Amino acid sequence: MKIRHISYWILLVAGFLLLVCPELAATEESKTVIGPRNALLADGADALMAGDGAEGVRLTLRGLEMAQGELERKMGHSNLCAGYILIDKPLTALPHCNWVLERDPAHWRTYNNRALVYLRLGRFEESEADIARGQALSPSSRNLKIAKGMLLDETDPVTPNVEVDERRSAMENGSDDSSND
Amino acid sequence: MGVTILRTTSLGALLAVALVVPAFGQSGVDRVDSNTERVPLHTVIPEYPEVARRDRIEGSVQVCFNISRSGHPRRIAVRRSTSRVFEKIAKKAVRKSTWKPLPDGEQQSGIKACRTFRFSLLPVSRDEPD
Repeated sequence: MKIRHISYWILLVAGFLLLVCPELAATEESKTVIGPRNALLADGADALMAGDGAEGVRLTLRGLEMAQGELERKMGHSNLCAGYILIDKPLTALPHCNWVLERDPAHWRTYNNRALVYLRLGRFEESEADIARGQALSPSSRNLKIAKGMLLDETDPVTPNVEVDERRSAMENGSDDSSND
Repeated sequence: MGVTILRTTSLGALLAVALVVPAFGQSGVDRVDSNTERVPLHTVIPEYPEVARRDRIEGSVQVCFNISRSGHPRRIAVRRSTSRVFEKIAKKAVRKSTWKPLPDGEQQSGIKACRTFRFSLLPVSRDEPD
């Protein structure tokens, strides 16, 4: 259970990185951010990245009150979604993820976060669908691979097995090994 | 994690199975023919790589090597492999394994030993049978 929480945290933290840096976010969305960034949103993201979900949510809620523009609001809601997952409130997190995806259906990080929400809620088919959407947008995302692994652990758990075979012929139809030395 | 060791038909190897297996708490041991008469002393079983488990990757790696007179593996090389994700950990397991040293005067065969590691994922049944 502890490992699962750590995995959630790692996944969510990776999602924050872009949201904390408006310049990067602006690049991703071909927008330009002018003026000072929202310090409360940034502090909230810092708190979330440090693993302090309660403080991160508190600061982000305050930052959201004074958010200017769609980008800051999107940052706020996305981080709230992640923050509420961190403090184990998936039902509260869900509308914040939805808010972002209604406005930006190409935001793969939020698909990743919402997949985690659905996973927590036991809504595995929706979680799988969000992972698939996210992977369509970002096929090489490590976060989404981890999320998919977590989903599979819930739906199709497996036990690793290692078998040792000392026969030379154990893997058939190969050449002699002398060239490998 | 389940572990199975397939090993030789020689008497020495049979004894080795008896010696090695309890040390690792393994079960389900079968015996097969071997390519070397050297007796394993300490067989290291690799951990299933977490990334492979996560991504549901299964596969096999065959590692071949020489065994020195003192019983340590030398010139370890991957001979065949179905997935690179298992290669490093398989070589590491062989590197940490040991064999019984050759007695004085006994000729070293020079034949390479090979060890194949099969990594598989077994489904876990949630429901207990009635």
